[in-house]
Amino acid sequence: MEAAISSEQHGHAASHGHHESFIRHYIFSTDHKMIAKQFMVTAIIFLFIGGAFALFIRWQLAYPGQPIPVIGQFLPSTWVNDAGAVTAEWYTQLLTMHGSIMIFAVVIPLLVGTFGNFAIPLMIGADDMAFPFLNMVSFWLFPLAGMLMMAGFLVEGGSAAAGWTSYPPLSAVASTGQTLWIVALFFIGFSSILGAVNYITTVLNMRAPGMKLFDMPMTVWAVFITAIIIIIGTPVLASALSMLFMDNFLNTSFFLPENLIVPARDMTRTAGGGQPLLWQHLFWFYSHPAVYIMILPGMGVVSDVLSTFSRKPLYGYKAMVFAIVAIAFLGIIVWGHHMFQSGMNPLLGTTFMVSTMVIAVPSAIKTFNWLGTMWRGKMEFTAPMLNAVAFVSMFVIGGLSGIFMASTPVDVFIHDTYFIVGHIHYVLFGGSLFAIFAGLHYWFPKMSGRMYNERLAKWHFWITFVSFNGTFFPMHILGIGGMMRRIYDPTIYDFLKPFQPMNEFITINAMILGFAQLLLVINFGYSWFRGQKAKRNPWRANTLEWQAPSPPPHGNFDRPLQVYRGPYEYSSPEAVQDYLPQTTSPEELAEQHRHHQKRLEQQQEATVTQD
Amino acid sequence: MLDWLPENVSIFGEGVDHLFSIIYYISIAIFLIVNVIYITFIIRYRRKRKGEKAHYYHGNNLLEFSWTALPFVLFLFLAFYSDGIWEDIKYSSKTPNADVVVEVMGQTYMWHFRYPGSDGLFGRRDQKFISSTNPFGIDPDDPNGKDDYTTINSMMIPVNKTVLVRLSSMDVIHSFFLPNMRVKQDAVPGQWVDVWFNSRKTGEYEIACAELCGSGHYLMRATLDVTSQEEYDTWIDEQYTNVLASLDTAPAETNE
Ligand code: HEM
Ligand SMILES: [Cu+2]
Ligand SMILES: [Cu+2]
Repeated sequence: MEAAISSEQHGHAASHGHHESFIRHYIFSTDHKMIAKQFMVTAIIFLFIGGAFALFIRWQLAYPGQPIPVIGQFLPSTWVNDAGAVTAEWYTQLLTMHGSIMIFAVVIPLLVGTFGNFAIPLMIGADDMAFPFLNMVSFWLFPLAGMLMMAGFLVEGGSAAAGWTSYPPLSAVASTGQTLWIVALFFIGFSSILGAVNYITTVLNMRAPGMKLFDMPMTVWAVFITAIIIIIGTPVLASALSMLFMDNFLNTSFFLPENLIVPARDMTRTAGGGQPLLWQHLFWFYSHPAVYIMILPGMGVVSDVLSTFSRKPLYGYKAMVFAIVAIAFLGIIVWGHHMFQSGMNPLLGTTFMVSTMVIAVPSAIKTFNWLGTMWRGKMEFTAPMLNAVAFVSMFVIGGLSGIFMASTPVDVFIHDTYFIVGHIHYVLFGGSLFAIFAGLHYWFPKMSGRMYNERLAKWHFWITFVSFNGTFFPMHILGIGGMMRRIYDPTIYDFLKPFQPMNEFITINAMILGFAQLLLVINFGYSWFRGQKAKRNPWRANTLEWQAPSPPPHGNFDRPLQVYRGPYEYSSPEAVQDYLPQTTSPEELAEQHRHHQKRLEQQQEATVTQD
Repeated sequence: MLDWLPENVSIFGEGVDHLFSIIYYISIAIFLIVNVIYITFIIRYRRKRKGEKAHYYHGNNLLEFSWTALPFVLFLFLAFYSDGIWEDIKYSSKTPNADVVVEVMGQTYMWHFRYPGSDGLFGRRDQKFISSTNPFGIDPDDPNGKDDYTTINSMMIPVNKTVLVRLSSMDVIHSFFLPNMRVKQDAVPGQWVDVWFNSRKTGEYEIACAELCGSGHYLMRATLDVTSQEEYDTWIDEQYTNVLASLDTAPAETNE
């Protein structure tokens, strides 16, 4: 694994004379950059759909039983009641689909699909992925799966409604929507595995000459480790899904105990012998690592962005890599911390608690190293930087609230309350999504060949940042107050009545937060076609992607690459400027110095003659 | 923020709340430290001139080691401190002797409670007898079960007594949540789990379901009545009389 094994970029790219058909170029493309953009556009569409679901949920929680303004009266009668208010049935479907869509069709595709595809080949100096065709298949499974899942709303009985965790027996009672959900997740898992195999092979085999593993930028490291997690976890999810499917249709009883009676669903089962908890073990064995799938690539992107805009080397680069490896490893063995109150043996609770607490350590390492990166930097607060800075601070809150849940006695109280919902969103929205925003702005010039509008991007950031905190921070307080998660109407409980004003406050913030995302779309949509033309290296960054034209042609690089150093040589005393690209050869560097020297002398002469 | 916690009336709840506040203050401290540093950096280390170089520095192993070791010690401390309380409330070896035993069965969307009759003995139950009219699956042939009585959505217990709850579900997973007692435990079909608590105060409290169990999940609400021992005894006698009365009017049981 020493140096790169093959290097296929041989400048054939720029000379591509022939014209690809529209379909080949935009639809069934095998070019990693186009696939990245396809992932991006599809996932952003799902972001708005999932966001709309969240707003319906929030409306109901703030104003229980009141008609949805404006559109309520136009929605089908299976969703809303006569007055146009969300029904309890639809509410349960909404929260299930919100969680499922956000996780499987927004965050994972954006972090892994978009950044993995766009950044990996470019950052390691390859001309494409190792298996371009597989890559295309990996993308196309994803919209297919998303639509299958969404189709649940149109079938009889509605969509899946057992929460995104789909605990049986609730989920093992056949409904068409639940089946669609199972099949959709299967496809998504397939898509992930194809992607992951591709990333691993590409990273191991296709690095530019001279690039050692420890010359790789953190984004590449993070997606690489993520891909390994995917390979380990996803097959377990797939088997769990298969078993659930069989329980639904073939009368098996993997998850169903003896003599189960579900009158609400007209179901009795006398045969059995299964275990509901088995699903939880299998599910979380995948889905706990999945939360790292949703944060590690974000950590990678943020490390790169922070270093670039602080104009400083990433603090403790190797420690950062080892921290990611540690998080991935520990992440796979702590799944049981979702099950402290599940009826699992409390002795296991103890062991899962200890391993969970330990996982906070590499997270702390990462935080302090990010701070170290900013220390004595020369920070430039562009939109990517603002989002990256917000990521770190929000991730700290998400991490700290995680400690409460890790502590088993405290979890007794806050488990399945809004504290968890607050925590999830600090990690997934404040964390993952801010990292995604950082990355999307950072690579926008490379993706589109144009600059986004900085002013609009800053407006988007600030409104998002403020309303995000206004939305999700108070949820911790609701949780401390004991408000259960996934309830349709909190006002029927006396002890939750005092929280109604807070619920309204949250909803107003959520509306602002939701609509603020339109700014992002307007900015990107407009700038993609009308923005100022981007230079090759607008951020004066070191990594290889900035050596390619903006946007890079099919095949990526227009000149052969040779890597001489690590990715974070910002402000190196060796260099004339405050950055030193990975590809700058010692000769070029010497040349730059001569040039610089000459300029200085000329300047001096000029001043002398002036006197 | 912790002021928002519902009033705690349970004995072990004090320990839980205390731990809650410890973690709360530690979190606030860490949050403040990190953010003060952070904001200071953001203000101090802005780039002011073009071409200005930053400090060229790749890191420091001693620092790296200390901010690995410190959180490690801190979190391990929290884990062990938490575990003491966890064992007290969850390990069966540490459960105090029960004064009152109640069986609780979740069913979408209600809670069934079962008390032993005057004999203090529960009738045998078996999974195979469970039906919508016999949620606990009480064996009809067991004489001990004849005088057992059940309630729906209302539970009564005496104050200052250790109450042991045997918990299960007949359909999907529910979660037995008593905010004021700091009790939460999933009720899983096909499996019985014991939880205990001891209320120091009389009053009416709410019981909720904390695990999504269908669209009526939010409706799965019951009341917990904590009364004096005398009141509790009176109530029990009343229930018992009712049960006996219904046994008398019921058709003869042994009719083979
Ligand atoms: C405008 C933005 C958002 C709002 C207002 C919002 C609101 C909510 C609410 C109210 C719930 C709780 C449902 C319940 O437990 O009853 C929820 C759950 C959840 N949200 Fe969001 N959310 C937003 C964005 C996101 C994003 C970006 C993600 C990304 C990963 C996400 C992931 C989740 C997950 C995983 C759950 C758990 C679902 C479940 O309980 O099964 N949300 N959200
Ligand atoms: Cu329930
Ligand atoms: Cu429930």
